[in-house]
Amino acid sequence: MEVLACKGLRKVYGDLEVLKGIDFSINKGETKVIIGPSGSGKSTFLRIMGLLEPPTEGKVFFEGKDVYGENLNLNMIRAKIGFVFQDPSLFRHLTALENVKLGLKVVLKMSDEEATKKAMETLKLVRMDEWADYYPAQLSGGQQQRVGIARALAMDPDIILFDEPTASLDIELTWEVIDVMKDLARRGITMLVVTHEIGFAKEVADEIVLMDSGRIVESGPPEQMLKSPKTERAREFLGRLLGGV
Amino acid sequence: MIDPNDLLFLLQGVPATLAISFLSFGIGFALGIPIAVARQMSPSLSYLMEAYEKAFRGIPVLVFMLLFYFGLGGFVPFLKDPFTCAVVALGLRSGAFQSQIFRGAINSVDKQQMMAALSLGMTKTEAFRYVILPQAFIVALPGLGSEISLLIKDSSYAFILGVLELTKHADILRKASRSFVFPYLMAAVLYILMTFPIANYLDKWGSRLKTKYGLR
Amino acid sequence: MYFILEYSQFIIEGFYVTVTMTLVGLAGGVVLGVLSALGDVYGGKLLKIIINSYVEFFRGSPLIVQLLIFYYSIPAITGVKWDALTAGSLTLMLNSGAYQKGYFKGAIEAVFKDQLIAAKSLGMTFPQTLRHVVLPQALRIVIPPWTNEYVSLGLSTSALIVIGIRELTNVAVSISAQTFRPLEVYLFIGLIYFVWITLSLKVLDWVYNKVKIPGLAVSEVM
Repeated sequence: MEVLACKGLRKVYGDLEVLKGIDFSINKGETKVIIGPSGSGKSTFLRIMGLLEPPTEGKVFFEGKDVYGENLNLNMIRAKIGFVFQDPSLFRHLTALENVKLGLKVVLKMSDEEATKKAMETLKLVRMDEWADYYPAQLSGGQQQRVGIARALAMDPDIILFDEPTASLDIELTWEVIDVMKDLARRGITMLVVTHEIGFAKEVADEIVLMDSGRIVESGPPEQMLKSPKTERAREFLGRLLGGV
Repeated sequence: MIDPNDLLFLLQGVPATLAISFLSFGIGFALGIPIAVARQMSPSLSYLMEAYEKAFRGIPVLVFMLLFYFGLGGFVPFLKDPFTCAVVALGLRSGAFQSQIFRGAINSVDKQQMMAALSLGMTKTEAFRYVILPQAFIVALPGLGSEISLLIKDSSYAFILGVLELTKHADILRKASRSFVFPYLMAAVLYILMTFPIANYLDKWGSRLKTKYGLR
Repeated sequence: MYFILEYSQFIIEGFYVTVTMTLVGLAGGVVLGVLSALGDVYGGKLLKIIINSYVEFFRGSPLIVQLLIFYYSIPAITGVKWDALTAGSLTLMLNSGAYQKGYFKGAIEAVFKDQLIAAKSLGMTFPQTLRHVVLPQALRIVIPPWTNEYVSLGLSTSALIVIGIRELTNVAVSISAQTFRPLEVYLFIGLIYFVWITLSLKVLDWVYNKVKIPGLAVSEVM
């Protein structure tokens, strides 16, 4: 079953065309990884798929429904699409637990008791339950990011989008976040991940998507993409990415 | 609609308002920097300075004006002159405020700058004079701009002592012309025309210099 | 200085007026300040122009002139008669609102955009985001700079003397005129202001320490 898709997606900022026509879809239970050089439009693409900004042209489909075409409540759909940011963007005035609870209470209208229970379970899943009462400023980058994942996960979304979740972390902290993400992929959570962690892609991705200059250049299963990419651009980029590791 | 003579009469109050403001700013400036530096360098002087700053931050400047004029005027003859008295009260308060502005600015200068100066063999005083203060002054510019405009506005307290400044002129005009609207509204406009450009200019000048020298 | 105690009734009444007017001005100022800050940050062009003209007028002219305008000019223009206390309260509220707008705007802008996007990604509406994310952060950030406004408005209430309100400074003037002992009278009244402001600062500091959150302060934000 198709969870999230788009057709003919274009995004223009002023004179700059960031996305030049993208068709994409992801099914329930799949994990797809988007790679590409900086400035290729990956993050913009992800933000549009997360309904955080509208496309200039083209359609976004959530579970088959044209998101901007029909008169839908965008907030209710956003609640079903989890989003994990590069900078964890935790609410700075709330503890880890309260961060996870806020969406449950305000958007999903859970009682405080229900929300606490659900939030604690989710924090346990990302191994942050012992840090529940700490404020973001008191946590390391990796810990903040795991709370960020829990905040998205607790909403029981149909898909979670990750925008370079480890890009601003040290290497050791990267592992703790990647471990949690692998865990989620194995549990069958639908995930669309922008990352350069090729190891993660190799292990859990169903498909690797290469973006460059606002287009999808090539996509395919990890073995094929990493060993025998079809396009020259993919060979070049992956060569540099893998060579650098 | 507007009688040019009325406007001219109001304008006659502007010089006194500007004189009070700039003279008291000068006193404040002359007091502010040494106090800020002294508080930084000598802990024993610090208590005395702190008491002075706290007094002027915790008591209305009008009370000081009345205290100086009625209370001390008998012993200190020049305080018997309302204009001088207003300048002294506002100037002393401005010293307290400006010392605070400079202290903040001095603290904002990178600590490494002091170390670098000392490493060249400068004394602490020389380091302050040639390295810290020039940078602190730039950081302080926007604060000094607000201080001048505060003084221009608060110079209106001198009206209560009977000084013939802008507000007093507006008050006289209201009584003479029996017009309740024009004198005060026009006075407000004139005050805005004085405060706005000064604060704005120092703010812009400050941020331009800050960018130029890469200061925070 | 014992003669002053004979006037303690007067002084207490004056002090009561001073404190009440300060709190009324601050309370009205909070409402006006928050609303105009929100309007200036999130509002349309016209709204921004209106808000900034209001702020510029009240920040650019002396409180004394504003009081005279509200006491004499506005009733003359509108024909609505009001007493000095009403004119004084309105002026203090509008004046304080104009200054508080600056503090609240700074605090609202210190709530980074990432916080708004994170709230959006959870499906929160704009009013929900304001209530649960922006204001709780902004209100905490604003307390230390806001303290300055408390002090400055508190001291500014002495300007109410120009429309004849019987606040503390006005009371001091009367006592001084009756006793011919201005030195003692103004020193004593100054002391009352000083103790009041100092204690208020202590209370505000205590409140701030109660509600403050690690990583959420102006210095740590900017």
